[in-house]
Formats: sequence, structure tokens, C-alpha cells
Amino acid sequence: MKEYTDVGLNIAGKAGASFADMRIVEERQNRVYVQRRSLKLVDETESFGYCVRVLLNGAWGFAYNTRLSKDEVGQTAKLAVETAKASAQAPKDRPARMAAEEANIETLVGSCKENPFTVPNNEKAELLLTACDIMLNVPGVVMAEGFLQFIKMHRVIANTDGSYLDLTNYFANPMLKAVAVHDTESQDRSYQGGAKQAGYEFVREMDLVGRAKGWAEEAVIKCKAEDSPSGVMDLVLDPMNLALTMHESVGHPTELDRILGWEANMAGQSFVRPEDVGTLRYGSDLVNFTIDNNLEGGLGSWFYDDDGVQMKTFPLIKAGILTSLSNTRETVPLIGWERSNGCCRSDGFSHFPINRIPNLYLGPGTDDTITSYDLIAGVDKGIYIEGMGSFSIDQMRNNFQFGGDMFWMIERGKKTKPLKKVTYQAQTRKFWGSCDGIAGKPYWRSHGVMNCGKGEPVQAMRMTHGASFARFRNIQVGAAKL
Amino acid sequence: MRNKDDIEAILREALYNASAPQTQAEYVFRKSLATRIGENAITQNMGGEEEYLRIFVAHDKRQGSSITNKLEEKSIGTMIKRAEEIAENSPHNPEYMPPIKAQTYPEVPQRYYEEVAQIRPADVAKEIHKTVEIAKIENYRASGLFEASCAIKAIANSEGLFAFDMHSSVDYSTTIHGPLGSGFCSRDGESMKYVNTEAVTREALETAKEAQNPDPVDPGEYTVIFEPQAVYDFLGFLFWNMSARDADEGTTVFAGKVGQKLLSDKVNIMTRIDDPELPAPPFGLDGLPARPRLWVKKGVIMRLRHDRFWAGQKGTDPDPLLYPLFMEGQDQSISDLIATCKKGLLAKRLWYIRYVDRKELLLTGMTRDGLFLIKDGKVVAPVKNLRFNESPVVFLQNIVAMSRPQRVEGSVKVPGIMSKNFTFSSKTESI
Repeated sequence: MKEYTDVGLNIAGKAGASFADMRIVEERQNRVYVQRRSLKLVDETESFGYCVRVLLNGAWGFAYNTRLSKDEVGQTAKLAVETAKASAQAPKDRPARMAAEEANIETLVGSCKENPFTVPNNEKAELLLTACDIMLNVPGVVMAEGFLQFIKMHRVIANTDGSYLDLTNYFANPMLKAVAVHDTESQDRSYQGGAKQAGYEFVREMDLVGRAKGWAEEAVIKCKAEDSPSGVMDLVLDPMNLALTMHESVGHPTELDRILGWEANMAGQSFVRPEDVGTLRYGSDLVNFTIDNNLEGGLGSWFYDDDGVQMKTFPLIKAGILTSLSNTRETVPLIGWERSNGCCRSDGFSHFPINRIPNLYLGPGTDDTITSYDLIAGVDKGIYIEGMGSFSIDQMRNNFQFGGDMFWMIERGKKTKPLKKVTYQAQTRKFWGSCDGIAGKPYWRSHGVMNCGKGEPVQAMRMTHGASFARFRNIQVGAAKL
Repeated sequence: MRNKDDIEAILREALYNASAPQTQAEYVFRKSLATRIGENAITQNMGGEEEYLRIFVAHDKRQGSSITNKLEEKSIGTMIKRAEEIAENSPHNPEYMPPIKAQTYPEVPQRYYEEVAQIRPADVAKEIHKTVEIAKIENYRASGLFEASCAIKAIANSEGLFAFDMHSSVDYSTTIHGPLGSGFCSRDGESMKYVNTEAVTREALETAKEAQNPDPVDPGEYTVIFEPQAVYDFLGFLFWNMSARDADEGTTVFAGKVGQKLLSDKVNIMTRIDDPELPAPPFGLDGLPARPRLWVKKGVIMRLRHDRFWAGQKGTDPDPLLYPLFMEGQDQSISDLIATCKKGLLAKRLWYIRYVDRKELLLTGMTRDGLFLIKDGKVVAPVKNLRFNESPVVFLQNIVAMSRPQRVEGSVKVPGIMSKNFTFSSKTESI
């Protein structure tokens, strides 16, 4: 591919670009979707395209194309230069520049023990049809759906720093859900582990068929359960529920592009300011968040981000204090930092790479022996929540309201009865400040998010979160009108 | 950009080379320019085009499909072979629907303007420049997105069907931030003549100025006036739940409600294909011809959307299109609604709306970019944003009055709506 990337970078260089890159993205995707007892979709997709990004006189240009020839690359690079020149009509106060980065030349391939593209599609279809059939055989279940998605993403990134990166990653994304009806109620329950950077072995390990009946039965239990109580009470949250809560209330507010106002029209901004780093109390002393874009199986572990920065691991929040921000090569100079921490990614060849949430997790408690039961034992009145459900947060990332996938009342230290339609609502820092217990490392679990929406036109990005069970005191529950 | 004849030839060639008895090929093209602004500067400026070809093959109710964006002969051959291998090894699909016969398509209002394909990055930058200059004069900060795009969709199948649609669109949205408050405005159309960037900017700026220094306000039940953008933000979830099958299975708010009066008798909702201000495509799913539909009449649920399989099961026709959707209003302005409101809240835009309970269609979300207190028929003060927990069904049951409908986000024409007893559950410091 170098003969093509050279064409793109040379045209950008001759136009006077201070930085340019060309990114070639080739994706192969396989999807299988079952709804009820019908195999709705089995397909395989191949997609190929490339983009040229040009920084000219402190302004950005970007163009993409799907046809590869030296002439087409040349036309694409010229369009990128044309858009950069147009950008200069509304220039930034401080011309954009890229933080320094060394030249890297590497070819890397992510983990994939069993190639999903060689596993017969009928095997995948039978797995989902069997799981859905098991769920539909549970009395009360009226709808079941299952989905398997496998992606091979191959990126070639060449830039004017001299980097040439040839990177391949595999993603496996399963889904299984049961929907039950009882009288006038309808509730659902689903697989909650999310996706992983892996091959088909991930699907084999999770035993969707073996677990299908349990999820279906819990969907029925939810239909018959009491509605959420309302009031201020304690919560014990499982790792899957926490994954979504940390995504929205920790991952997004600490993106530097959002803090700088670049996402104000759609995704919003943040209550965090750059000067808060090192001083802002974000949570209790127990709260430690780590950005880990080298996490094994992590959906954000891409070796290098789309700025050509090697993936990193570092603390974001340490003993409750904010210690860093996710950032990109363009954003860090604006707050006086020298190097990017590698959080710039795009979801494909047709989109400009932006500051994205990395793999981000809540560290486990220091005592490995602490379990979810220990946390529950310390609650007089509260709710234990498993999995993800409703989620909403304001555009500055302060006021949030979350639900879950399964709920249990806690009374005098014990789970007593199932509940439905539970929501909890809080302000971000007050919520994390109320954390007074986290289970040990043996109970730490991860959840891979495949569809984080951000940017305009919107981009869907992948990252992994993780946590052990955690306890939060005095949270408003059940504010939703039932 | 390929012309209609070239595209039909590509689709026919793909069908010819497939050996399965039932085949359908689809072509999609999109060319776009997208320019983003943030903090009064262009932050991203993008242009390009892409095309995809997809083939569905089936025999004996075994189906497979494959997609490629490499449209040279070898890749198309590989795509067909993949789809056929998938179908060969797939189990029967009891709900399989075969390709439909050749159709006659209705004349629809003009939805493609060649001038949009000719827009250059410098033209877009000139429009953005207007916004930035207007914001700078006030020491305010503008962010936004300007997007101009042209799209083609074409379908051909083994039954002789060929359907072709070209669509252009220009979308502009901007959010203007002052020190303590913001305003938003968005407009779109099939041509540049429908999108006046200066007018959009001035409307967002006016809201931003009025939104400065908001007062705290307690959550609770309020009469609300939602402008059309907020109405669409909220009612989108209602529209997405209009599946006949889901209702028949008891999983949506419409279960057992067809033929019943569920909403205020002021509510009439329909799909139209004749409005030049919001032109419909000539065909919908699988190449079915577009047709008008009446979904809600005087608050009565007249019909829900049937896919081809469920229509067959229920002995009715399938519904090719849901959008563009039209909700009738009343011949008055938002100002007229405000003048009749004794005490209430005016909301310009809603944000991050999600289900709390799908069956009840109970939703939560936030107000954003302008929330105002109304007293005695006048807007008296900006107020801080609130979180709501409410159902669009309740919102449409409690309608007091409506304004004239307005096109929103290229999908709907909806009125501004005044509705009583709307539930806000918590507040935020975020402005």
C-alpha cells in the first residue's frame, strides 16, 4: 500500500501541509440475526476505503474515497487540500498543530484464536435458533432475538512523521434477549457481557445456549415483580451496570475535545475543566479509574490510535482525584501538555478521527475476599442491580438517571424480592463520592461497548469498561413516574 | 456519480450472474460534504463519496446476502458467491418473503437538486463564516454542522422489479453559547434555497441571549410548550413503536389499542407522499411503492405498521413507509400558544431521551439549549434545565393547543405543542 500512501502524502506535502496522514481501512464483517424462530439475516460484508487528512496553515482538510488507484488517491488528496483551504475561512484562534510523536513502523495483529470467518454460518445460525427456541419455550416469553457479529478491521496508517503502521484487529459481538408478557406488563432480560476483541472462541466460552433459559425466566420474573420503591437508599451495582454508568459519567466528561467545546452542538460539553486535573475530587478515596488501551480483549486496544500514537495505560482518577484526561495530538497542545495519550479514533475511512473514550475501568477493592454478598450485607434498605438498562445524562454530564436489567430489593442485608422499573438518579461527582465499598479483584468483570455514538456526522466507537461490584450510599431511587 | 442506466446495468449484471432462483440486488451511493464548527472555528471539514452493492439470494426459503463496496467485476463475483454459499447452508426461514413483482411508482415531489452535488468546500465555509461572525459580534461561541449530500438508492430483483431514487439534502444546525446559556436552531431541505444559514444562526443567537443567567426552578408537573424540534425529539420514540406485530404480541404501548381512542382528539398522524416541503421517496422496503397512510385519526389508533410477513399473516397490505410523518397542528404560532399559557415552561430542545419502560412508553431525558418560564401569557425568565420522566402518550393525551407544523430533521412535520401535567423529576446545574 505504500505506493499509494506516498502519493497522498506527497500531494499534501507539496501543498505545504505541516502534517498529513493517509489511513486505509479494510473491513470484513459477518452478521447472523435471529428473531423469534426466523433466521432474518446472514450476511458477509467487505468494505474498503481510505482517507487523507491534511493540516494546512493550522486548518484541517479531510477527504475519503473507495476507489484505489494512484490517480484516485491524488484526487482525494487534492480534495483534502481544498477542504483545508476552505477551513481557513473560519480559522481557529490558535492554529491547530499536532503534538510531537516519533515515527513508528510496525505490523501487528490482534488476538483471534478461532477465525470466525471460517466457522460455518449454519453453525452460528443454529446456535442462535436453539437459544431463541429455548427462550420462547419458557411460558410468558413472546419474543426472543439473537445476534452475532464478527469484524476483522485492517488499518494501514501512514503519516508525515514517517510512521507506517499495518494493524489488524478482530471483534466478536454477541447479543441474546428474551421479551416476556404477563397481563399488561412486558419486560425483557438479555445477555450483558458485551463484545470482546477476540475470535469465535469468545462465543464458545460464553455458553449462550446454556444460559438462555435463565435469562428468559428472569424476563418473566420481572413482569410479575413489584414496581420500584422510591426514596433515598443504598445501591449495590454489578460490573455490567457500572460499565454504562462509568461510560457516561466518567468516560465522556473526561474527553478533552468535549471540554474544549468542540462537541457542543450535539454530544455536549463537560463540567470538567483542564485545570481540574490534579485537584478535582471526582469520587471517594476508594474510586480508582484506569485508562488501559492495552487491556487484553479490550475493544479499544488498537495498538496505535488514528493519530499514530501507541496505546497507553495510565490512571485517570486516583483515590478519588482526577489525574488525567483522554486526549489527542491536536488537543493536548491547547492545554499545555506535550504528548497525546492515544485516544484519537475514527469508526471508518469516511470519518475524521476524534477524541474517543478509551478502555476505562474502575479498579477492584484492595481486599480480594470482599464479595457482592459482603456489600449487600452492609445495606439495611437498598437495591441490587444487574446489567444495563435505561440511561440518560445531561449535556454537561452532571445529572444522570440509570436503570438496569435485573433488580432485587435488599432488606436488612439480604436480597429479598425481585423488582422492576428501577431507576437511580444522581449528580456525577456526588454519586462517585458516595461509593463506600468495592468487591475484590476475583469479581472484576469487563463489558465491551460496540456502539458509543459521538461526533457529527455521528460515529459509533468501541471500547471496554470493567469493574467489580460496588456499593453506593444514599442515592435517589424511583424518581421516574410509574 | 453513476447515472441511472449504469446503475441498472450493474444490478442486472449481478442478478444475471447469480444462480439462485430468487435474487435481489441493491445499490447505494452517497456523496457528502460535512463541515463542523466549534468555538467559532471550523474544527473538521470533510468530503468524499462511497457506494455499496448488496445482493440477497434465496432458494427453498434458504437465504443469504453479501455486501461489497468494491464494484469491479471480480469483487462482485466474490460477493455473489459468498451470498450463494450462505444460502446453500442456511436453515429454512419460516418467515422468508420472496422478491416482489415489478411495480409502478407514484410521482413524488422533487427531492433531488443537482446544485447540491456542485457545492464545494469553499461554498460551505462561506456559509459557516456568516455564523461565526454573527456569534463573535456578541462575544458568543458557535458550534455546529453543515452537511450537503446526494444519495442514490436502487433495487432490482429476479421478478423484473427496478426501483430508483435520487435524493439531495442540505442540513445546518448550530448551537450558540453565551457565558451562561445557549440556543440551538436547525433547518434542512432538499436544496440550499431551503436553508438560510444566517437566519438559522440569528434564531439560535436570539434564544441564547434570552437563555442567559437562568433561574433555578423546581421539578414537578408543569404545562409545557414544546417547539417543533422538542416535539420531534420526544415523539420519535412513539413513532418507532408503531410495529403492528410488536403490539399484537403485547410488548408495546399500542397493544390492544388499534381502533381505540388512545390520544387527544386533536391528534392526527399520517404518512404523506405529496408534500413538496417534505418529499417522500417513491418506494420503501423491498421496492414497495410509497403510499399514504393514516395512522391516528382524532386520537384513534387507525393502523400500525405491518412488514410484509406480518401483513400476510393478518390479511392486510404491507406498509412500505412510515416516514415522512405528518402531524396536523392548528393555525397559530408558538407565540399564540405562549399568550394563552397562565404558567408553564417553554422547551426548545430535548436531549438524551431513553426508555424507562418500553411497554408503558415511559421516557426520560433532559431539556437543553433554552428552557423558559411562562407566566400570564409571557416568557418571563430563562430557567435551569430539568430532567423529565414522561410518556409521549400522556403528552398527546394532555394536549391543550398546537401551532402550525414545521419540518424537522428531514423526517417529519410536527407542530409545536402545549400539553398539561408534564412531569419533570429532577434538576441540574448544567446550562
